[in-house]
Amino acid sequence: MRRSCLLAALAAVVALPALGQDREALDLFVRPDKGHCIACHQLPAGVGPETRSDLGPRLEGSRMRELGRDALKDLIDDPMRRSGESVMPPYGRHRILDPREIQRLGEFLHALP
Amino acid sequence: MRCPEALFRAAAAVALAASCGAFAAADQVKAEVAARLQQQVPGISAADYALGAAALDNELRSKMQENAAASAPVIEAGKKLFGRKFGNGRTLAACFPNGGRRIAAAYPQYDARLKRVVTLEMAVNQCLKANGEALYEAADADTMGALTAYLRSLSDGQRVAVRMPAAAEERFEAGRRLYFTRLGQRNFACASCHVQSAGRRYAEQVLSPAVGQATHWPLIRDGRAVTLQVRMRECLELMGAAPFAAGSDELNHLEYFLTYLSNGLALKANAWRPSTAP
Repeated sequence: MRRSCLLAALAAVVALPALGQDREALDLFVRPDKGHCIACHQLPAGVGPETRSDLGPRLEGSRMRELGRDALKDLIDDPMRRSGESVMPPYGRHRILDPREIQRLGEFLHALP
Repeated sequence: MRCPEALFRAAAAVALAASCGAFAAADQVKAEVAARLQQQVPGISAADYALGAAALDNELRSKMQENAAASAPVIEAGKKLFGRKFGNGRTLAACFPNGGRRIAAAYPQYDARLKRVVTLEMAVNQCLKANGEALYEAADADTMGALTAYLRSLSDGQRVAVRMPAAAEERFEAGRRLYFTRLGQRNFACASCHVQSAGRRYAEQVLSPAVGQATHWPLIRDGRAVTLQVRMRECLELMGAAPFAAGSDELNHLEYFLTYLSNGLALKANAWRPSTAP
Protein backbone atom coordinates (compact mmCIF):
# COMPACT_ATOMS: atom_id res chain seq x y z
CA MET A 1 0.00 0.00 0.00
CA ARG A 2 2.75 2.38 1.06
CA ARG A 3 4.71 1.45 -2.08
CA SER A 4 1.77 2.10 -4.42
CA CYS A 5 1.15 5.49 -2.80
CA LEU A 6 4.79 6.36 -3.30
CA LEU A 7 4.61 5.34 -6.94
CA ALA A 8 1.45 7.40 -7.48
CA ALA A 9 3.07 10.45 -5.90
CA LEU A 10 6.16 9.98 -8.05
CA ALA A 11 4.02 9.66 -11.20
CA ALA A 12 2.18 12.87 -10.29
CA VAL A 13 5.46 14.76 -9.85
CA VAL A 14 6.78 13.47 -13.18
CA ALA A 15 3.51 14.37 -14.90
CA LEU A 16 3.24 17.86 -13.40
CA PRO A 17 4.49 19.80 -16.42
CA ALA A 18 2.55 17.60 -18.80
CA LEU A 19 -0.65 18.15 -16.86
CA GLY A 20 -0.46 21.84 -17.50
CA GLN A 21 0.92 22.83 -14.13
CA ASP A 22 3.31 25.22 -15.87
CA ARG A 23 0.91 28.07 -15.26
CA GLU A 24 2.95 30.66 -17.12
CA ALA A 25 3.10 28.53 -20.26
CA LEU A 26 -0.61 27.77 -20.05
CA ASP A 27 -1.21 31.48 -19.65
CA LEU A 28 0.78 32.12 -22.85
CA PHE A 29 -1.26 29.42 -24.56
CA VAL A 30 -4.60 30.90 -23.57
CA ARG A 31 -4.28 34.69 -23.37
CA PRO A 32 -5.67 36.58 -26.41
CA ASP A 33 -2.86 39.15 -26.15
CA LYS A 34 -0.20 36.42 -26.08
CA GLY A 35 -0.23 33.10 -27.95
CA HIS A 36 -4.00 32.63 -27.90
CA CYS A 37 -3.23 29.15 -29.20
CA ILE A 38 -6.46 27.94 -27.57
CA ALA A 39 -8.37 29.82 -30.30
CA CYS A 40 -7.20 27.21 -32.80
CA HIS A 41 -5.83 24.14 -30.97
CA GLN A 42 -7.29 21.57 -28.59
CA LEU A 43 -5.15 20.24 -25.74
CA PRO A 44 -5.22 16.74 -24.27
CA ALA A 45 -7.97 16.30 -21.66
CA GLY A 46 -7.19 17.82 -18.29
CA VAL A 47 -4.28 19.98 -19.41
CA GLY A 48 -6.10 23.22 -20.09
CA PRO A 49 -9.50 24.65 -21.00
CA GLU A 50 -11.64 22.53 -23.27
CA THR A 51 -12.52 23.94 -26.67
CA ARG A 52 -14.19 22.87 -29.90
CA SER A 53 -11.83 25.08 -31.90
CA ASP A 54 -10.03 23.19 -34.66
CA LEU A 55 -8.49 25.73 -37.01
CA GLY A 56 -5.17 24.08 -36.17
CA PRO A 57 -4.48 20.43 -35.33
CA ARG A 58 -5.16 18.90 -31.91
CA LEU A 59 -1.92 18.98 -29.92
CA GLU A 60 -0.82 15.56 -28.70
CA GLY A 61 2.37 15.03 -26.68
CA SER A 62 3.58 12.14 -28.82
CA ARG A 63 3.40 14.26 -31.97
CA MET A 64 5.10 17.18 -30.22
CA ARG A 65 8.00 14.96 -29.12
CA GLU A 66 8.18 13.49 -32.63
CA LEU A 67 8.74 17.02 -33.92
CA GLY A 68 11.31 17.75 -31.23
CA ARG A 69 12.06 20.84 -29.15
CA ASP A 70 13.98 22.74 -31.82
CA ALA A 71 11.38 22.22 -34.54
CA LEU A 72 8.59 23.20 -32.14
CA LYS A 73 10.30 26.46 -31.23
CA ASP A 74 11.08 27.12 -34.88
CA LEU A 75 7.43 26.49 -35.73
CA ILE A 76 6.23 28.91 -33.09
CA ASP A 77 8.79 31.49 -34.22
CA ASP A 78 7.69 31.40 -37.86
CA PRO A 79 5.49 28.57 -39.18
CA MET A 80 5.82 29.89 -42.74
CA ARG A 81 9.39 28.61 -42.85
CA ARG A 82 7.87 25.11 -42.95
CA SER A 83 4.78 25.90 -45.03
CA GLY A 84 3.78 29.04 -46.89
CA GLU A 85 0.15 27.92 -46.54
CA SER A 86 0.23 27.91 -42.73
CA VAL A 87 -2.38 30.14 -41.08
CA MET A 88 -0.55 30.10 -37.74
CA PRO A 89 0.80 33.48 -36.63
CA PRO A 90 4.60 33.95 -36.75
CA TYR A 91 4.96 34.57 -33.02
CA GLY A 92 8.67 35.32 -33.08
CA ARG A 93 9.00 37.03 -36.45
CA HIS A 94 6.07 39.33 -35.67
CA ARG A 95 7.19 39.82 -32.06
CA ILE A 96 3.97 38.57 -30.51
CA LEU A 97 6.06 36.49 -28.08
CA ASP A 98 9.65 37.09 -26.99
CA PRO A 99 12.33 34.36 -27.23
CA ARG A 100 11.91 33.39 -23.57
CA GLU A 101 8.13 32.99 -24.01
CA ILE A 102 8.65 30.91 -27.16
CA GLN A 103 11.10 28.70 -25.23
CA ARG A 104 8.57 28.28 -22.42
CA LEU A 105 5.71 27.47 -24.78
CA GLY A 106 7.89 25.01 -26.71
CA GLU A 107 8.76 23.17 -23.49
CA PHE A 108 5.09 23.13 -22.49
CA LEU A 109 4.09 21.55 -25.81
CA HIS A 110 6.96 19.06 -25.66
CA ALA A 111 5.81 17.90 -22.22
CA LEU A 112 2.15 17.40 -23.16
CA PRO A 113 0.72 13.96 -22.35
CA MET B 1 -18.94 64.51 -87.78
CA ARG B 2 -20.79 61.22 -88.07
CA CYS B 3 -19.11 58.12 -86.81
CA PRO B 4 -18.43 55.76 -89.72
CA GLU B 5 -20.36 52.53 -89.29
CA ALA B 6 -17.25 50.32 -89.32
CA LEU B 7 -15.60 52.44 -86.66
CA PHE B 8 -18.75 52.39 -84.59
CA ARG B 9 -18.93 48.60 -84.84
CA ALA B 10 -15.27 48.25 -83.90
CA ALA B 11 -15.72 50.56 -80.91
CA ALA B 12 -18.81 48.61 -79.86
CA ALA B 13 -16.92 45.34 -80.19
CA VAL B 14 -14.03 46.67 -78.07
CA ALA B 15 -16.46 47.98 -75.43
CA LEU B 16 -18.30 44.66 -75.37
CA ALA B 17 -15.06 42.69 -75.16
CA ALA B 18 -13.82 44.91 -72.33
CA SER B 19 -17.12 44.50 -70.51
CA CYS B 20 -17.11 40.73 -71.03
CA GLY B 21 -13.48 40.64 -69.97
CA ALA B 22 -14.26 42.25 -66.64
CA PHE B 23 -17.28 40.04 -66.19
CA ALA B 24 -15.28 36.96 -67.11
CA ALA B 25 -12.40 37.83 -64.77
CA ALA B 26 -14.72 38.45 -61.83
CA ASP B 27 -16.74 35.36 -62.61
CA GLN B 28 -13.62 33.27 -62.88
CA VAL B 29 -12.56 34.42 -59.41
CA LYS B 30 -16.08 33.65 -58.14
CA ALA B 31 -15.94 30.16 -59.66
CA GLU B 32 -12.47 29.49 -58.23
CA VAL B 33 -13.50 30.52 -54.71
CA ALA B 34 -16.71 28.44 -55.00
CA ALA B 35 -14.72 25.40 -56.18
CA ARG B 36 -12.26 25.74 -53.30
CA LEU B 37 -15.15 25.97 -50.83
CA GLN B 38 -16.78 22.90 -52.34
CA GLN B 39 -13.63 21.01 -51.37
CA GLN B 40 -13.40 22.63 -47.95
CA VAL B 41 -17.06 22.35 -46.95
CA PRO B 42 -18.73 19.96 -49.40
CA GLY B 43 -22.45 19.51 -49.72
CA ILE B 44 -23.71 22.96 -48.75
CA SER B 45 -26.75 24.05 -50.75
CA ALA B 46 -26.97 27.54 -52.24
CA ALA B 47 -29.77 28.37 -49.79
CA ASP B 48 -27.59 27.34 -46.87
CA TYR B 49 -24.61 29.39 -48.03
CA ALA B 50 -26.77 32.46 -47.47
CA LEU B 51 -26.91 31.61 -43.75
CA GLY B 52 -23.19 32.29 -43.31
CA ALA B 53 -21.63 30.44 -40.36
CA ALA B 54 -25.07 29.06 -39.41
CA ALA B 55 -24.94 26.91 -42.57
CA LEU B 56 -22.30 24.82 -40.80
CA ASP B 57 -23.42 25.15 -37.19
CA ASN B 58 -26.77 23.62 -36.24
CA GLU B 59 -26.59 25.08 -32.74
CA LEU B 60 -26.21 28.61 -34.14
CA ARG B 61 -28.95 27.96 -36.68
CA SER B 62 -31.47 26.95 -34.01
CA LYS B 63 -30.49 29.92 -31.81
CA MET B 64 -30.99 32.21 -34.82
CA GLN B 65 -34.51 30.88 -35.19
CA GLU B 66 -35.21 31.24 -31.45
CA ASN B 67 -33.99 34.84 -31.48
CA ALA B 68 -35.44 35.91 -34.83
CA ALA B 69 -37.68 38.48 -33.11
CA ALA B 70 -34.65 40.37 -31.78
CA SER B 71 -34.42 42.29 -35.05
CA ALA B 72 -37.93 43.80 -34.79
CA PRO B 73 -37.10 46.81 -32.56
CA VAL B 74 -33.99 47.59 -34.65
CA ILE B 75 -35.99 47.47 -37.89
CA GLU B 76 -38.69 49.64 -36.31
CA ALA B 77 -36.07 52.22 -35.29
CA GLY B 78 -34.70 52.17 -38.85
CA LYS B 79 -38.19 52.63 -40.29
CA LYS B 80 -38.65 55.76 -38.19
CA LEU B 81 -35.34 57.16 -39.45
CA PHE B 82 -36.34 56.36 -43.02
CA GLY B 83 -39.61 58.24 -42.60
CA ARG B 84 -38.09 61.20 -40.75
CA LYS B 85 -38.82 64.45 -42.56
CA PHE B 86 -35.86 66.53 -43.65
CA GLY B 87 -35.76 70.28 -43.22
CA ASN B 88 -37.04 70.59 -46.78
CA GLY B 89 -40.00 68.31 -46.09
CA ARG B 90 -38.64 65.34 -48.02
CA THR B 91 -37.61 61.97 -46.61
CA LEU B 92 -35.01 59.35 -47.57
CA ALA B 93 -37.70 57.70 -49.67
CA ALA B 94 -37.26 60.54 -52.18
CA CYS B 95 -33.82 59.21 -53.11
CA PHE B 96 -34.68 55.54 -53.58
CA PRO B 97 -37.07 53.94 -56.05
CA ASN B 98 -40.09 51.95 -54.78
CA GLY B 99 -39.83 53.64 -51.39
CA GLY B 100 -36.62 51.68 -50.83
CA ARG B 101 -38.19 48.28 -51.58
CA ARG B 102 -36.18 45.66 -53.51
CA ILE B 103 -33.11 47.86 -53.95
CA ALA B 104 -30.54 46.41 -51.53
CA ALA B 105 -29.60 43.41 -53.68
CA ALA B 106 -27.98 45.69 -56.26
CA TYR B 107 -25.54 47.24 -53.75
CA PRO B 108 -22.65 47.91 -53.72
CA GLN B 109 -22.67 49.42 -57.20
CA TYR B 110 -20.12 51.27 -59.26
CA ASP B 111 -20.84 54.94 -59.84
CA ALA B 112 -19.22 55.84 -63.17
CA ARG B 113 -19.54 59.57 -62.49
CA LEU B 114 -17.83 59.41 -59.09
CA LYS B 115 -15.55 56.57 -60.25
CA ARG B 116 -16.21 54.96 -56.87
CA VAL B 117 -17.96 51.94 -55.45
CA VAL B 118 -21.10 53.07 -53.64
CA THR B 119 -22.49 50.97 -50.81
CA LEU B 120 -26.05 51.21 -49.53
CA GLU B 121 -24.71 53.15 -46.54
CA MET B 122 -22.99 55.63 -48.88
CA ALA B 123 -26.18 56.00 -50.90
CA VAL B 124 -28.03 56.93 -47.70
CA ASN B 125 -25.44 59.58 -46.90
CA GLN B 126 -25.50 60.88 -50.48
CA CYS B 127 -29.23 61.39 -50.04
CA LEU B 128 -28.79 63.16 -46.71
CA LYS B 129 -26.12 65.42 -48.23
CA ALA B 130 -28.24 66.23 -51.27
CA ASN B 131 -31.02 67.32 -48.94
CA GLY B 132 -28.83 69.44 -46.68
CA GLU B 133 -29.00 67.01 -43.75
CA ALA B 134 -26.24 65.92 -41.37
CA LEU B 135 -24.62 62.64 -42.44
CA TYR B 136 -24.72 59.45 -40.38
CA GLU B 137 -21.53 57.82 -39.18
CA ALA B 138 -21.07 54.71 -41.34
CA ALA B 139 -20.26 52.61 -38.26
CA ASP B 140 -22.99 53.94 -35.96
CA ALA B 141 -25.35 51.15 -34.96
CA ASP B 142 -28.22 53.39 -33.81
CA THR B 143 -28.49 55.42 -37.01
CA MET B 144 -26.83 53.85 -40.07
CA GLY B 145 -27.06 50.34 -38.64
CA ALA B 146 -30.76 50.59 -37.82
CA LEU B 147 -31.55 52.35 -41.10
CA THR B 148 -29.89 49.68 -43.22
CA ALA B 149 -31.53 46.96 -41.07
CA TYR B 150 -34.86 48.41 -42.21
CA LEU B 151 -33.84 49.09 -45.82
CA ARG B 152 -32.36 45.63 -46.29
CA SER B 153 -35.39 44.00 -44.67
CA LEU B 154 -37.38 45.45 -47.58
CA SER B 155 -35.28 43.27 -49.91
CA ASP B 156 -35.55 39.98 -48.03
CA GLY B 157 -35.59 37.09 -50.48
CA GLN B 158 -34.22 39.16 -53.36
CA ARG B 159 -31.26 37.58 -55.13
CA VAL B 160 -27.96 39.41 -54.81
CA ALA B 161 -27.38 41.05 -58.20
CA VAL B 162 -24.23 43.15 -58.05
CA ARG B 163 -23.21 44.43 -61.49
CA MET B 164 -19.63 44.42 -62.69
CA PRO B 165 -19.08 46.97 -65.47
CA ALA B 166 -15.65 46.97 -67.10
CA ALA B 167 -14.71 50.22 -65.37
CA ALA B 168 -15.28 48.60 -61.98
CA GLU B 169 -12.93 45.68 -62.55
CA GLU B 170 -10.05 47.43 -60.77
CA ARG B 171 -12.22 47.94 -57.68
CA PHE B 172 -13.25 44.30 -57.65
CA GLU B 173 -9.60 43.31 -58.04
CA ALA B 174 -8.56 45.67 -55.20
CA GLY B 175 -11.16 43.98 -52.98
CA ARG B 176 -10.00 40.51 -54.02
CA ARG B 177 -6.38 41.43 -53.35
CA LEU B 178 -7.20 42.75 -49.89
CA TYR B 179 -9.22 39.62 -49.08
CA PHE B 180 -6.30 37.35 -49.96
CA THR B 181 -3.49 39.47 -48.45
CA ARG B 182 -2.01 38.54 -45.08
CA LEU B 183 -2.28 41.48 -42.72
CA GLY B 184 -1.42 42.52 -39.21
CA GLN B 185 0.55 41.04 -36.37
CA ARG B 186 -1.29 37.70 -36.58
CA ASN B 187 -0.53 37.41 -40.31
CA PHE B 188 -4.01 36.26 -41.31
CA ALA B 189 -5.71 37.05 -44.60
CA CYS B 190 -9.53 37.12 -44.67
CA ALA B 191 -9.19 34.09 -46.95
CA SER B 192 -7.06 32.22 -44.38
CA CYS B 193 -10.23 31.76 -42.34
CA HIS B 194 -13.11 32.13 -44.80
CA VAL B 195 -11.74 30.19 -47.79
CA GLN B 196 -8.82 28.04 -46.63
CA SER B 197 -10.36 27.15 -43.24
CA ALA B 198 -14.09 27.75 -43.77
CA GLY B 199 -16.20 25.50 -41.58
CA ARG B 200 -13.53 25.07 -38.94
CA ARG B 201 -13.79 26.73 -35.56
CA TYR B 202 -11.75 29.71 -34.35
CA ALA B 203 -12.29 30.71 -30.71
CA GLU B 204 -15.26 28.32 -30.61
CA GLN B 205 -17.03 30.01 -33.54
CA VAL B 206 -17.54 28.37 -36.92
CA LEU B 207 -15.78 30.31 -39.69
CA SER B 208 -18.26 31.35 -42.36
CA PRO B 209 -17.49 30.56 -46.03
CA ALA B 210 -16.65 33.56 -48.25
CA VAL B 211 -19.60 32.74 -50.52
CA GLY B 212 -22.73 33.81 -48.67
CA GLN B 213 -20.89 36.10 -46.29
CA ALA B 214 -22.54 39.21 -47.70
CA THR B 215 -26.19 38.10 -47.63
CA HIS B 216 -27.41 38.52 -44.07
CA TRP B 217 -26.33 41.99 -42.96
CA PRO B 218 -26.60 43.81 -40.73
CA LEU B 219 -26.32 41.22 -37.98
CA ILE B 220 -28.33 41.74 -34.83
CA ARG B 221 -26.03 41.37 -31.87
CA ASP B 222 -26.93 42.44 -28.32
CA GLY B 223 -30.01 44.15 -29.76
CA ARG B 224 -27.98 46.36 -32.13
CA ALA B 225 -27.28 46.31 -35.85
CA VAL B 226 -23.74 45.38 -36.89
CA THR B 227 -23.05 46.28 -40.50
CA LEU B 228 -20.75 44.22 -42.72
CA GLN B 229 -18.04 46.87 -42.63
CA VAL B 230 -18.20 47.14 -38.83
CA ARG B 231 -17.71 43.38 -38.73
CA MET B 232 -14.79 43.66 -41.18
CA ARG B 233 -13.20 46.16 -38.81
CA GLU B 234 -13.61 43.73 -35.91
CA CYS B 235 -11.92 41.03 -37.99
CA LEU B 236 -9.03 43.34 -38.86
CA GLU B 237 -8.55 44.09 -35.17
CA LEU B 238 -8.47 40.35 -34.41
CA MET B 239 -5.83 40.03 -37.12
CA GLY B 240 -3.74 42.63 -35.30
CA ALA B 241 -4.13 45.14 -38.12
CA ALA B 242 -5.18 48.78 -37.88
CA PRO B 243 -8.70 48.63 -39.32
CA PHE B 244 -9.69 50.74 -42.30
CA ALA B 245 -12.52 53.18 -41.60
CA ALA B 246 -16.09 52.13 -42.31
CA GLY B 247 -16.95 53.78 -45.63
CA SER B 248 -13.31 53.86 -46.80
CA ASP B 249 -12.56 52.84 -50.37
CA GLU B 250 -10.64 49.83 -49.01
CA LEU B 251 -13.66 48.40 -47.18
CA ASN B 252 -15.99 49.41 -50.01
CA HIS B 253 -13.86 47.41 -52.45
CA LEU B 254 -13.79 44.50 -50.04
CA GLU B 255 -17.58 44.63 -49.73
CA TYR B 256 -17.93 44.88 -53.52
CA PHE B 257 -15.75 41.78 -54.02
CA LEU B 258 -17.44 39.84 -51.26
CA THR B 259 -20.97 40.70 -52.35
CA TYR B 260 -20.21 39.75 -55.95
CA LEU B 261 -19.21 36.30 -54.68
CA SER B 262 -22.76 36.01 -53.30
CA ASN B 263 -24.50 36.97 -56.56
CA GLY B 264 -27.56 34.79 -57.04
CA LEU B 265 -28.03 34.00 -53.35
CA ALA B 266 -31.12 35.22 -51.51
CA LEU B 267 -30.77 38.16 -49.12
CA LYS B 268 -31.92 37.62 -45.56
CA ALA B 269 -30.99 40.66 -43.52
CA ASN B 270 -30.79 40.96 -39.76
CA ALA B 271 -29.43 37.55 -38.85
CA TRP B 272 -29.13 37.11 -35.09
CA ARG B 273 -25.71 36.40 -33.64
CA PRO B 274 -24.55 35.80 -30.04
CA SER B 275 -22.64 38.56 -28.31
CA THR B 276 -19.36 36.62 -28.38
CA ALA B 277 -19.33 35.93 -32.12
CA PRO B 278 -15.88 36.79 -33.51
